[in-house]
Amino acid sequence: MPTAFVDILTDNFGEFSSGFWVTVRLVVVAFAIAMVVGTLIGAFRVAPNKWLQRAGGLYVEFFRNIPLLVLLILLFYGLRDKNGPGIPITGFVAGVLGLGLYTAAYIAEALRSGVFSVSKGQIEASLSLGFSYTETMRRIILPQAFRTVISPIGSLIIAMIKNSAVIGVALALDDLLKVGRTIQSRNFQTFETFFWAGVGYLILTGLVTVVIRQLENRYAIKR
Amino acid sequence: MRSTHWRMLFAALAAMSLALFVAACGDDEETTTGASGSQTTATTEPAEEAKKFEAGTTLGDIQKKGEITIGVKFDVPPFGFKNTSSGEVEGFDIDMGKAVAEALGVKPKFIEAISDNRIPFLEKGTADLILSTMTINEERVGQIAFSDPYFIAKGRILVKKDNADVTGIDTLSGKTVCTALGSTYEATLKSQAPDAKLKLVDSYSECLELLQNDTVEAISTDDVILTGMIIQTGDELKLVGDQLTQEPYGAGIKLGETEFVDFVNETFTKVKEDGRYKASFDKWVGKFTGEEAEPPSISVDEAVELVKQNGK
Amino acid sequence: MTLAFFDWFSENNNGRYMLEGFATNLEIALIAIVFAFIVGLGLALLRLSRNRIVSYAAGIWIDVFRNLPLILLVIFLALLLPESWRDFWTDNVPGWAPEAFESGLILGAFMALILYNSAVLAEIMRAGILSLAKGQGEAASALGMTYGQSLRFVILPQGLRRMVPALVSQLITLNKDTTLVSLIAIQEVVRRGRIVNANSGNPFTGSETEAPYLEVFIFIGILFVAVNYALSRLSRRLEIRERKRTGTTVEQVKGLEDQVAVEPA
Repeated sequence: MPTAFVDILTDNFGEFSSGFWVTVRLVVVAFAIAMVVGTLIGAFRVAPNKWLQRAGGLYVEFFRNIPLLVLLILLFYGLRDKNGPGIPITGFVAGVLGLGLYTAAYIAEALRSGVFSVSKGQIEASLSLGFSYTETMRRIILPQAFRTVISPIGSLIIAMIKNSAVIGVALALDDLLKVGRTIQSRNFQTFETFFWAGVGYLILTGLVTVVIRQLENRYAIKR
Repeated sequence: MRSTHWRMLFAALAAMSLALFVAACGDDEETTTGASGSQTTATTEPAEEAKKFEAGTTLGDIQKKGEITIGVKFDVPPFGFKNTSSGEVEGFDIDMGKAVAEALGVKPKFIEAISDNRIPFLEKGTADLILSTMTINEERVGQIAFSDPYFIAKGRILVKKDNADVTGIDTLSGKTVCTALGSTYEATLKSQAPDAKLKLVDSYSECLELLQNDTVEAISTDDVILTGMIIQTGDELKLVGDQLTQEPYGAGIKLGETEFVDFVNETFTKVKEDGRYKASFDKWVGKFTGEEAEPPSISVDEAVELVKQNGK
Repeated sequence: MTLAFFDWFSENNNGRYMLEGFATNLEIALIAIVFAFIVGLGLALLRLSRNRIVSYAAGIWIDVFRNLPLILLVIFLALLLPESWRDFWTDNVPGWAPEAFESGLILGAFMALILYNSAVLAEIMRAGILSLAKGQGEAASALGMTYGQSLRFVILPQGLRRMVPALVSQLITLNKDTTLVSLIAIQEVVRRGRIVNANSGNPFTGSETEAPYLEVFIFIGILFVAVNYALSRLSRRLEIRERKRTGTTVEQVKGLEDQVAVEPA
């Protein structure tokens, strides 16, 4: 590689690096939120109670069909608006909340199909052995369901990594893409700068792919 | 079952068509900002003693055509912007343009000249004159001809009216300041206010959004743009601090047209002296910033030197 | 919320302004998916090529573009686009095109959308084609068809049918992704929403009422949810229809937010 190309990376390594870690933080926190909320909504969706199912359904339909950018603007500019609630939510919190709640809808659906893939016979057997519904869920169904959904959840994490790039430019946060854009505005080397930013994202998605494959080999239940 | 399938398809397509239908039908009124186009404004006063130029010269040809095409901004109040209720283009640059047209005895036709187009328009002849918040700098002086400066934009700081902490560039340490990516203000702020926290964004409209919801405490750029923000937000913001940089604006003319340049300079001098300059300034700028009109009296070369001093 | 909820809507043609913007989003999505389909099909065929090098190279291309953030591609291409291309576009845009398409930047936006989605669709198509029982391909060659003929008459028609639900699903995702072009200042609904908010509440711009972000963007959200929900119902209908047609043991190609999963029905 010509030296100039690599120079763009080395000259700005500090900034690139800090942007990289901001992206990592965004994804990790958003994933935590998404798993918690997603499991909850997933549980609603498979609950025997029709109202819970419907509530879960509404959540999923809303958060799957609304654009992430609109959600982020709602949470950040909408809540901070002086002509509105005026809640001083920070860019980072709005970002992880938006990304987390958005992805939770997909996790809920993935879990739902995971639960359904566990044979009905197990539920019946468990209930007849005297386990309550919640215990059945917790001890028998969900652990198996989680093992089925390792692959889809891996895909969702990759989707989150890509979606996180919107947070920086939309909410003026210095994540990897925003940092790339800032560096480019100074050096005008568009191709090289965005190349390195892109490499950063590919590293993240590549790592996740590898880890998920390992987890699949060890834990996944193939049906 | 076929029919239900078609019903569903129809419903989905209807949903998508509805918005398209609403857009396609209806009057062709002008909606809000954004559309580019041209404006022909009739001068209100008859041309007084318009100097006659020979046919075949640039000015003569313009007089023969009866109109002069002037490139202005359509989205930078108060210098050049489209008034959404009247549909007319207005502002300080427009006033200067009208003065030149009047002195020539022709009608002004205003077209939109965004920053990237300004010089190409002159080179191609799409516009006769450019009055589009254009800074006189060394690079441009080689490509086009400039009139003497008619306005000096200063880099300043904008804060909320009730902000008593930030009064100038030295009070910015620890505060968040917003400016545009790639602007000269990024460098200026870094050198003159190294402890300030910079938020860099793609456009000044985003800076304004961030100021309004308190994500940033201040915005720094040309007082021209900052005044536009003051206008846009009613009574919430104020300019503080001394000038950080100076950007002298000049009217752009095709390179080599010395007669044209002299004519514009003559017109500008008259405007500065007979009170029209002050009237326009007060109407478009002074009313919002409370500043006094200071018609510049420097030459193009001095302007170029001034710009070189910025950021030092 | 005051009682004057949503009254900015009727002021100053704001409502119409926003709906026109929304129409732009849908137009961008439709144009992009058509081109992405064509390019994606080409990519998929390259990927399925029996030439190892071509197949591998196509695979790398697809993997790279599927794993890059779309917004990165949008901003990258908008910045990279040479001014000459932009000028060419602005000079040649037909008069009946919506206002948003007048800027040369839309070219960069389309390139990014097509680049990204063609890679995603290529994977969907490949999965769809591969999901066909091997027997089909073998039967076709037993009947004397060449590889190309078997593709054209047997494999593609069926494979592409399988992926219609995934295609509609990708259209839904594309509808949402069109909002990203607001970040390069294209006049679609999100950008217009912010402009409406900026111009509101100030007599200088001719506005009397405030248009708070919450109201404006809940409105925009509802627009998208409504259209995308309708599309997702359509997709489910098509899926059921396909299943009934071809029997329940057939594999379906589903799309889960840009990823592809081939699942048994």
